[in-house]
Amino acid sequence: MPSASALRIQIEHSLERRFPAALSPIPRTIVETAATSIPEVDRVLNGGLPVGAISEITGPVFSGRTSLALTFLAARTHEGCVCAWVDVHDALDSESAAANGVALRQLLWIRCKNAGPSANPWAPLDQAIRATDLLLQAGGFSALVLDLGSTAPEHGLRIPLATWFRFRQAADRTRCSLLVLAQQPLAQSSAAVVLECAPLKAPSGNQTVLANCGYQLRTSRSANPAPLSIATGQRKPPASTWLATAASQRENRGPLRQVFVSGMVEASA
Amino acid sequence: MSPELYLSIHADEFPAQALLRLRTDLAVQPVAVLDGHPPLQTVCSLNRHARLKGAALGMPRLEAEGIPGMHLLARSLEIEAAARSVLHECAAHFSPRIEAVSLSTACSCVLDITGTERLFGPPETLAYRLRAALSTAGLRASFAVSSNFHTARIKTVATRGITVIPPGHEANALSKLPLAVLDLPRDHAETLTIWGIRTLGELAALPESELVARLGPQAVVSRDLARGAQPHTFQPIEAEFTLREFCDFETPVEQINSLLFIGARMIDCLAARASAHALSLASLVVHMELTGGRIYRRPIHPALPSTDRKFLLKLLQLEIAAHPPQAAVLSLTLSAEAGQSSSVQLGLFAPQTPEPSRLDVTIARLKAIAGEDRVGSPVLEDTHRPGSFRMESFTVRTQSNPPTPELASPRMALRRMRPPVPVRVQLNALEPVAFRDRQQTFKVSAAYGPWKTSGCWWSTETWNTEEWDVLAETGTGAPVACVLVRNCTIDQWQLEAFYD
Repeated sequence: MPSASALRIQIEHSLERRFPAALSPIPRTIVETAATSIPEVDRVLNGGLPVGAISEITGPVFSGRTSLALTFLAARTHEGCVCAWVDVHDALDSESAAANGVALRQLLWIRCKNAGPSANPWAPLDQAIRATDLLLQAGGFSALVLDLGSTAPEHGLRIPLATWFRFRQAADRTRCSLLVLAQQPLAQSSAAVVLECAPLKAPSGNQTVLANCGYQLRTSRSANPAPLSIATGQRKPPASTWLATAASQRENRGPLRQVFVSGMVEASA
Repeated sequence: MSPELYLSIHADEFPAQALLRLRTDLAVQPVAVLDGHPPLQTVCSLNRHARLKGAALGMPRLEAEGIPGMHLLARSLEIEAAARSVLHECAAHFSPRIEAVSLSTACSCVLDITGTERLFGPPETLAYRLRAALSTAGLRASFAVSSNFHTARIKTVATRGITVIPPGHEANALSKLPLAVLDLPRDHAETLTIWGIRTLGELAALPESELVARLGPQAVVSRDLARGAQPHTFQPIEAEFTLREFCDFETPVEQINSLLFIGARMIDCLAARASAHALSLASLVVHMELTGGRIYRRPIHPALPSTDRKFLLKLLQLEIAAHPPQAAVLSLTLSAEAGQSSSVQLGLFAPQTPEPSRLDVTIARLKAIAGEDRVGSPVLEDTHRPGSFRMESFTVRTQSNPPTPELASPRMALRRMRPPVPVRVQLNALEPVAFRDRQQTFKVSAAYGPWKTSGCWWSTETWNTEEWDVLAETGTGAPVACVLVRNCTIDQWQLEAFYD
């Protein structure tokens, strides 16, 4: 009776041509991550968004994509890192970025030319891809956001997979976290993480300011694909009350884990 | 005290050398330089290839044009001045005491190299090093070292290469040179020729008293020069350090690549000169004269002073490509300001940041793609006007301890519509209940506001708006939150931003 190891070697030897080391465990490498400063998101992502890889944050408008990206950039700039925002539709609000804690002096903002809705939609997209290429090749940027959030999916899907593959290689070489904001996944297999965002709840109408907006995040290509929800703070009235306990409601939707951030954090399984 | 020692430098055919210094493509071509006003232009300087083709000094333009393959260039005193300053700068690396002794079309100077043996070795070594430095700068010259100022000067005019005259051998070194090198008064020269005196050695051998009796006291000076015994009071010049290169073109240049070909050579020279002073180029100014009398001027400011030729050339290329001259170029001037070479001590655990010089090129390329004013860092304006900011140039600030403010909690971010989209709003009790943009209708489920803001009533930048935060549903039932703004001045509604 041959031993287990001898049997394994024998099987591997017979399958060697088709599957090298078929039964030997693949050595695991530790994936470097950068925290988003939202503990619940970091926990689901096993530490944060991957460094040197493409992460996609997808969803419709009002799904919290931009808020999450700004929070991540705030954490990176807080550490003294330099970041860049490639803005296809010139949509970034610098006040929102500052309010989320982004150090604007450490943010390079590329506002692609957008001559209006009737203009050629490919022009700003082409500029954004070229700009992203340049920034990734230049190196030194810890995080780079490619904002395709306002780009129609039919346009975004026309970006060749070879481009995403090139971005992935360049991001890996320069240790840059490339975040892609889009309405739906575009990078396909080149993306290491895909976060699907969606609006969770509409705030109640019995208040004087827009507040308690909740977002739901779902990760794919992750060890823990359990959905996760986040609620952000209110924007108005004036800044003196911005840090008030904004998201204090808690919803219970069965098996979903409900998490509220911004001052108060609650979690349940 | 060590004996006096002088090194003479003589660059002949200087008008041609100065022009060819930046035109390396013509270095192996026959080139003659024309001086004078048309149509009476004559050849005032030429290179070796032109001489081999049969050209000669003083040849009229028409005759020179008849030589096949001959390139004729117009003399430029400005280019010669720039080349002369380069020569003086190279010489100043070896001795701060320089006296200019230029004659006609040659550029000559004499260095006081007394006491430099311990720094540069024997005089011959110094001369070789100086020749190499001048060769790097694109100039060719002959050198002579002597303990007598005039002996060194005369010897270098008459001979090529490097000549070192040991002390006490001045008369021997000069003895075989023709009388023409002395620049004698015409009557003296004629008299000496009649006497059969052809060389300096023969002049030096004449008895002094008889010579004075026949030619006057001035002849003593000539005799002492021929003997290598004429004293001299050194009058050093102040070597001016200006980083400036100039080139004017014989025909207007329209291609950027042609400009860059010259620009690369200019940057080479500027960087080499700055490096020789342990400095770098902190800024460059491109100045062009265009056809029609127009002037083109663009400054280039690298993030850090640099002498990296490729980097500076790329910046120059991107700057000219982003702002091309609107007419053909007649002349190109590149001037630079020197700065201290940068040295940055990076921390072992400091976060990665872009390399400043590489970032400069990247940002220049990004500006070429997106636009000059659309790349940089946003800076919030000190105003209550919503969404106001300005763009500033992006620079990496190297700081050992970056400011670490407390991280703000996540807040709802806006995605702005630039420019805002005009919408038609349906009101009920002064509150929006529905609005329509160009594509679809939104049904408002909740509206928060109005938030009234106004300001700058004293200027044309005045604004007076009502802002509403609106929760709405699209035609497909998808929820959206957006900012509707009513311009109270013209009573117009606009969709300004979406919450995301």
